[in-house]
Amino acid sequence: MEHYQTIALYGFVGAFLFGAIGSRTQFCTMGAVSDWVNMGSLTRMRVWFLATGIAIFGAQSLQHFGLVDLSQSIYLTSNFTWLGHLLGGFLFGIGMTLGSGCGQRTLVRVGGGNLKSLVVLLVMAISAYMTLRGLFALLRLQINDPSTIDLEQSGLTTQGIPELTSHFLGLSPSIATAIVAILIGGGMIVWALRDREVRTNFDNMLAGIGIGLIIVFAWFTTGYLGFDDFDPLPTEAYSFIAPVGNALTYLMTFTGSTINFGISVVLGVLAGSFAYSIVTGNFRIESFSDKSDLINHLMGGLLMGFGGVMSLGCTIGQGISGLSTLAIGSLITLISIIAGCAFALKMQYYLYDDQGWLHALKSTLADIKPGK
Amino acid sequence: MTEANQELDARNLNCPLPILKAKKAISSMASGEVLKIVATDPGAVKDFESFANQTGNELLESTESGNEFHFLLKKA
Repeated sequence: MEHYQTIALYGFVGAFLFGAIGSRTQFCTMGAVSDWVNMGSLTRMRVWFLATGIAIFGAQSLQHFGLVDLSQSIYLTSNFTWLGHLLGGFLFGIGMTLGSGCGQRTLVRVGGGNLKSLVVLLVMAISAYMTLRGLFALLRLQINDPSTIDLEQSGLTTQGIPELTSHFLGLSPSIATAIVAILIGGGMIVWALRDREVRTNFDNMLAGIGIGLIIVFAWFTTGYLGFDDFDPLPTEAYSFIAPVGNALTYLMTFTGSTINFGISVVLGVLAGSFAYSIVTGNFRIESFSDKSDLINHLMGGLLMGFGGVMSLGCTIGQGISGLSTLAIGSLITLISIIAGCAFALKMQYYLYDDQGWLHALKSTLADIKPGK
Repeated sequence: MTEANQELDARNLNCPLPILKAKKAISSMASGEVLKIVATDPGAVKDFESFANQTGNELLESTESGNEFHFLLKKA
C-alpha cells in the first residue's frame, strides 16, 4: 500500500468510529445551540466543548513532545482572514439550522437513511467546491483579499493565540502555550464536567471523550505517521465542508483521481453511521414533508458549503480540529457559527407568527437573550 | 387516556423544528392544557425529554408506534 493510501485508511477507520458514535449518541452541534436557545439547556453544548477541550490537550501534547508540527496546518497560517471567519462562520451557522445539522451531522443522517440530508450533502458539496474553485470563489476572494491581515508584517509566524499572547505580553512561548491551553482547553473540560447530565450519562461521555480522542488520533495520523520528507502530505484533522466537495469530485472523476485523508474521512463517517444504523435496526428512509422543508434544506446546503469554505471549516473543522491548534481564526469562526445558528433559530421561531420577515427580524433582534 | 387540547403534526420534520413548533404552540395554551405532538425524527424523543425538564412543562407520555413517536406535553 502506498504511503498516502495508508494515511487515508487510518482516516477512514477513525471516521468510521466517529460515524458510529455520532449515530448512537446523536452528537449534534446545531442541536447544542438549539437546546441552549430554545430551552436554556447547555448539556449538549458542554458535550461539544468536552470534545474540543480534549482535542486541545491532545493536540498541544503532540506538539509539545515534538511529534506533530501544528503550524503546518491551515488553521495557524499567518494570513489572518478575519472577515472570512466572521462572515463565513455566521452564514454556516444559519445554514446548519436550515439544513437540520452541520456537515458531520448531515453525513451521519445520510448514513441512517435520511434523504433530506442527502440533498443537503449534494448541494453542500457542490457549493463548497464552487467556493473553492468555481464561481463562488470570486466572491470569497473579493471578501477575503482586501481584509486579510499579514501577521508576518507584525513579526508573527502564526495566528496562534499563544504566540499572540507571548508577543504582546512578553511571555516565553512555552509558558504562553501552557497558559492558553489550560485556560481554554481546561476551562472547557471543567465547564463540561460540572454538569451532572454530562458526567453520569454514558452517551454524553462517549461523544465528548470519543470524538475528542478521534481528532487527536487524526493529528497523530497526518502529522506524525503522514510525515515524510519525500512524500509530504498535509497536516490536518477532521473537517467536513471542503472535503465533502473534494469527495464528490473524487467520485465523479474516480479513474483520474487519488484518495486523500479528507475524502476518506467523509466516506468513513457515512460508512460508520450506515453500519451502526443497520446493526441497531434504526435505518429508516426519511423524506421531505413539504415544499418549504425542501427550500430550507437547499438553502442550508448552499450556505454551509459557501460559509464553511470561506471560514476554513465547520463546527468540527474549526470548532474542534481548528481550535485544538489554538488558532484565533478558529475561535472567531466558532463564536460566529454559534451566533449565526442562534439568529436563525430565533428567526424561524418568529416566522411562525406569520407576520413576515421584517416582524421576525425585529422580534429576533429584540430578543437576544437565550433560553427565553 | 389523557385527552389532548391541541395536536401538532411534526411528521418528517427534523431537529430543531418539532421543538420550535411545540414551543410556539404551547406558548398560546393555558396552564394545565395538553399538547399532543406526532413526530418521525428519532432525535425528538431525547429532545422532548430535555424540553420538559428545562421548561417545567410535564411530559405525560412518550410512546412509539410504527415509525411514529407520540408525545403528550402538559403546560405548566
